[in-house]
Amino acid sequence: MTRDGLHRDHIFVLTLLVPIIIFVAILIYYPAIDTFTTSLTNRNLRINRPTEFVQLENYSYLLTNNEFWEVTGRSFLLVLITLPLEMIIALGGALLLNERFPGRGVVRTLVILPWMVPPVVNGFLWGWLLNGEYGAFNGLLYQFGLIHEYQYWLQNPGTQILWVAVVQTWTRFSFPMIVLLAGLQGIQDDLYEAAKVDGANGLQRLWRITLPLLLPSFAVALVVEFIAVFQIFDVIWTLTAGGSAGGAINPFTKTLMLFNYELVFRDLRIGRGAALSYLILIMSLAVGLVFVRRLYNQGVQDT
Amino acid sequence: MKRDRRLRRLIPLYIASALLLFWALAPIYWVAVSSISNRIELYARPYKIWFPSEPTLEHYVTLFTTGAAYRDGGFSPTAGLIGAGLRNSIIISVASAAIVTVVSTGAGYVFARLRFRFKQTAFYFLMLLMPLPVWVALIALFFLLTNLNLIDTLHGLIMLFVVFMLPLSVWLMSTFIRDIPEEIEDAALVDGCTRWQLLPRIVFPLARPGMIAVFLVALLTSWNNFLLPLIFSRTSASQPMTVVLTLFIGQYEVAWEDMSAAAVLTMLPPFLMALFFQRYLVRGLTAGAVK
Repeated sequence: MTRDGLHRDHIFVLTLLVPIIIFVAILIYYPAIDTFTTSLTNRNLRINRPTEFVQLENYSYLLTNNEFWEVTGRSFLLVLITLPLEMIIALGGALLLNERFPGRGVVRTLVILPWMVPPVVNGFLWGWLLNGEYGAFNGLLYQFGLIHEYQYWLQNPGTQILWVAVVQTWTRFSFPMIVLLAGLQGIQDDLYEAAKVDGANGLQRLWRITLPLLLPSFAVALVVEFIAVFQIFDVIWTLTAGGSAGGAINPFTKTLMLFNYELVFRDLRIGRGAALSYLILIMSLAVGLVFVRRLYNQGVQDT
Repeated sequence: MKRDRRLRRLIPLYIASALLLFWALAPIYWVAVSSISNRIELYARPYKIWFPSEPTLEHYVTLFTTGAAYRDGGFSPTAGLIGAGLRNSIIISVASAAIVTVVSTGAGYVFARLRFRFKQTAFYFLMLLMPLPVWVALIALFFLLTNLNLIDTLHGLIMLFVVFMLPLSVWLMSTFIRDIPEEIEDAALVDGCTRWQLLPRIVFPLARPGMIAVFLVALLTSWNNFLLPLIFSRTSASQPMTVVLTLFIGQYEVAWEDMSAAAVLTMLPPFLMALFFQRYLVRGLTAGAVK
């Protein structure tokens, strides 16, 4: 390439990238830095006082605060319940869709519809389904004689978080299912043939061949789903939060994102909310870095 | 004998399919049925008809005319909300998806094909944002947009969606473009085509499947999003359907059948996308996870 050509390429690169980079810098990086400086202050819009620099006080407050640990624990608990549920249903679905049968295409098309449902609608949908007065879940169980009286499924504080996990699983299981399906399709048939010749039965083949070879697919699905569940907000908002009317946010399903919303936009404790958002960042950073490295390797790689 | 064996293989597969489809579709079916039922049948205890004896579209009409009914009877002052919500959702999602697709195709091309200094730095600068919890930027962003008078405006929201969807879109486009053979571009460059001519004439047509995928993913993401408009919208000047729905649940306590109709209207565009463009959409949503 001539010197002139190289120079022209530089202008091309700059014109396409610089606006994006400036845009991102102003609208994400600058606010992110600003949020961090705010997290070192006692900024509080409810109290009329000059904002002061308080160093790490917000952080130490949160880290010694019971509610913070309760909410953090609940976020991780939700991850721990949701991920296995999702993976079991996803694996079942993937094993099914990996078989050839007439109508498979239709099943595949329809089964991913929950994935398309806006999370806000998802929360409403299940809230109505599980409704204690007229919900279809009650109707169905009653009709089959499994209950004799309508139940208020979402009323019990102790089990609300389980329902959140179920509802989140319902909307998200398609993603791991497709990832696992792609993994299954990459497994060579002759491996199974060889195992059959050696006398391995179906279960042994699943356990000894399929699952070990699917491990990379599971890893990808788990990382992506971890981020999805950890940042859950909309579903809880409409399912159990009780905050959509502007009232108090239900403490029994308060996860980190809801806690953050409450601190900033309800309590107007801006400084403390900013500190919380950085604590959340640190918690998701480890998983996030793995994610970015993987993306880089595929998007740019050795060029 | 052979038919017997075939059947014995197929029956369990169909039972499993039925279970899987029941799990996936029953909740959707219930809301759809609720939206076309009359109140007496829908509120029957125990509920056991599973399909209205006289399906009606009146709840859809109600949403746009008198305003949705309250749970306790009477009509809520919500008549204009649904129309405005749909309009805002369409404008926001179509505009931000179109902008993000064009911009990310250019940037994706640059990352996929050209060598330059600070390439890795620039790439990381964008990609680091992907797993970033939005809250880190959101708090200061709220004050920034307030100062810029961009709260409760459509263009403010479009701008935010574009910037938040950019990293993923740029990455998607760069992987798609890397998969296109380079020879055609090389030939065109040798013939004296500039990079600027190359982009619309050769790259866009070849990258069209990728661009469609990026456009659909962006459309779905912005249509379904709730957190950004929750924070940056105030009135029906910019509130999309997702926010209107939460007003129906909370502030107005809208009756279940009308609420269901509103929910169906909100789900419908994503469903249509999934049914008609599933190949592109799934490709875009799972790129990187599925090679």
